[in-house]
Amino acid sequence: MIEIAGLTKRFGRDRAVDDLSFEVHPGRVTGFLGPNGAGKTTTMRLIVGLERPTAGRALVDGLPYQKIDKPLTRVGALLDAAAVHGGRRADQHLRWLAASNGLSRDRIAPLLERVGLGGVRKRIGVYSLGMKQRLGIAAALLGDPPVLILDEPVNGLDAEGVKWTRDLLRSLAAEGRTVLVSSHLMSEMAITADHLIVIARGRLVADVPTAEFVRPGMSLEDVYLEAVGGMS
Amino acid sequence: MNVLAAEWLKFRTLRSTLWALAASIGCALVLTASTGVTSLSDLDAGHSADQAGLRVWAVVFVGVTLSALLIGALGVITMTGEHASGMINLTYTAMPSRRGVLLAKAVVLTGAALTAFLLIGAVGYVYGRLVAAPSHPSFLPAGAWQPIGAAALMMLMTALAGLALGALLRSGAVATAVLIAIVFVLPVILMGIPGGSDVGRFLPLVAGMQLLDQSPQDYMPAGAAFAVLAAWTTVPIGIALAITPGPWRHRATGPEALESRG
Repeated sequence: MIEIAGLTKRFGRDRAVDDLSFEVHPGRVTGFLGPNGAGKTTTMRLIVGLERPTAGRALVDGLPYQKIDKPLTRVGALLDAAAVHGGRRADQHLRWLAASNGLSRDRIAPLLERVGLGGVRKRIGVYSLGMKQRLGIAAALLGDPPVLILDEPVNGLDAEGVKWTRDLLRSLAAEGRTVLVSSHLMSEMAITADHLIVIARGRLVADVPTAEFVRPGMSLEDVYLEAVGGMS
Repeated sequence: MNVLAAEWLKFRTLRSTLWALAASIGCALVLTASTGVTSLSDLDAGHSADQAGLRVWAVVFVGVTLSALLIGALGVITMTGEHASGMINLTYTAMPSRRGVLLAKAVVLTGAALTAFLLIGAVGYVYGRLVAAPSHPSFLPAGAWQPIGAAALMMLMTALAGLALGALLRSGAVATAVLIAIVFVLPVILMGIPGGSDVGRFLPLVAGMQLLDQSPQDYMPAGAAFAVLAAWTTVPIGIALAITPGPWRHRATGPEALESRG
């Protein structure tokens, strides 16, 4: 479970995140929506301790990220799949990551199989964006964490990859995990997310079950544009 | 220890780091080989065993300053490579203590620099000893510890100064330029202008070359030269570690805290 309370982050005069409060509950996929620059990525970076909040707090299972021992076993995050060193192979990349939290390297091979990178011996530098997304998901799952935070995980994926990611996210939520996933693809969110958090200009616009947000006869896209229209 | 294991794995799984290390060692040995042919073959009966021994050690470390610069560049990219690729975010989510990450990188680089020093010393010595064999050099004359210690410190100093500059400046190009300026360019300029040696002798290259017996004159006592090298080894990385945050305390914040901060 993720608890965001009064969370504010300012860069100079600019309020990237402005007094934001919401909770992300386990057992369902929570979609995190908002226009470009709405503060989705900053919120996610605040949750995993990459930014220090100006005010308020972000807690994961009751703890600020900085207080979590072996954080990979509590929170799996995919923030930027392209941000990996191109010189290593996938197994080498996951090996230092496993070592950093004292995890067994035996987890790595089955995990690479699971994300469809089992037989790949190439260096990460020549991966397609879709393959890097799969590697990023493997990195997030490495510590078998109960909480997952994924920033645009279907970005760059082909149709098969999009469906694979959707099924994976739904099965992770069905296992009782907390899944927070941001996306720009409204049609994708409409069929993946059980619950939606919508923000614009750093503020909360909606925190509702997907089924309630989308009124009969309207697409998620229509309702979303209407909701954020007055804000951005 | 997990942080150290992770940083060691990162270090040894990159071909670029292994190449930089090999280049650093190879560069020193090539210079030793080419210098040794001329410098060690003219040793004659007029030299004592200790003098011959000292000459061998001087030849072993003749290329160590250039070698040190390559290790310094390795120190820089150990940090800036992660900023350039953006992988630093993954590093800090897995290991939230940024100071711990920097410290682990410093430990790994210390090991790499000292390994390079030992390989240069061992291989270079075997070669020098073979070339100088007719004059029966002694193995470790009293004065030999000076170039040996200076070579070790030069390697360690540039590696850790490079890492510190990489951590402070975050840009590989800028940090490498500053490292080269401090280690190689500034001393040459300062030692060439009148009165410049008053400042120049506080730079690591001047102290290092004096101890390695590669300097035209002595600018300071050996103890002072070692102190200069030791300072350049510890102070830059010390500053970088001091200003790199550990895991920060989560502040009690609310609306009133926000207001008071304006």
